[in-house]
Amino acid sequence: MNEPAAGCESVAEPPVDLASSEFSSLYAENSRAIYYLALRFLGDPQKAEDATHDVFLRAFRKLDQFHGEASLRTWLYRIAINHCQNLRQRWHDRHVFSNADDAVWENATARTDSPLRVLETKELGQRIQKTLDGLSDEYRLLLLLVADEELSYEQIGALVGQSPDAVRGKLHRARKTFAVLFEKTA
Amino acid sequence: MKHQIKLSREQQHAAEHQTQRQAAREFASTEELLRYDAAHTTVPPAIARRLQKSTGDLPGPKANWWKRLFGGTQP
Repeated sequence: MNEPAAGCESVAEPPVDLASSEFSSLYAENSRAIYYLALRFLGDPQKAEDATHDVFLRAFRKLDQFHGEASLRTWLYRIAINHCQNLRQRWHDRHVFSNADDAVWENATARTDSPLRVLETKELGQRIQKTLDGLSDEYRLLLLLVADEELSYEQIGALVGQSPDAVRGKLHRARKTFAVLFEKTA
Repeated sequence: MKHQIKLSREQQHAAEHQTQRQAAREFASTEELLRYDAAHTTVPPAIARRLQKSTGDLPGPKANWWKRLFGGTQP
């Protein structure tokens, strides 16, 4: 985390009106991305709501420590990823899936180039969640991050602590595993 | 009469097929599927309300944080 900016006034600012501050722009531009990540990573709308609130509250408190080395979106993602991973670790859930990806991938006969076909878009969210729940945290996170068109492989690599090439390789396997599991949810 | 029934069944089948085709949707990639899902996900308005309340008693971010973001031009 960045150090506080030198020379900042120590006088407390008046309370901020979320509806009229720059912070409201930050929220408006990024809340969907952060909420979606939390929703699909945690798999629970209420937990995602709590997590999104906590992420933006933390961002609000730390905004003056943001030096602009990364994009704001990337900075928010970093806070969100840390928060969501801490929550999942606390719950000690779904560890049984940690090695499931490779087994699925190695036994896969699915055609990865074929389109993912859905007949009923109303149930799409449930199918996606079920599929993501079957993936490891690492694959799930990579897929959710690469789905954000604002993020490059370099930025994703920085967020997950891996090289862009490693990200590309893992994403290839993650996509294939997702396709196999998604077919099974039909 | 029998011919009529057959036509009717064919029409019914065609109508069902048409309905199914309209509901079906194909995604070229996992990313496309997830982007569609994200675009159709609504952020609960309660989050903004809770944030408003949570930040209400806190001092705001230092006034110059936006200068680092927008190059000194206040939006």
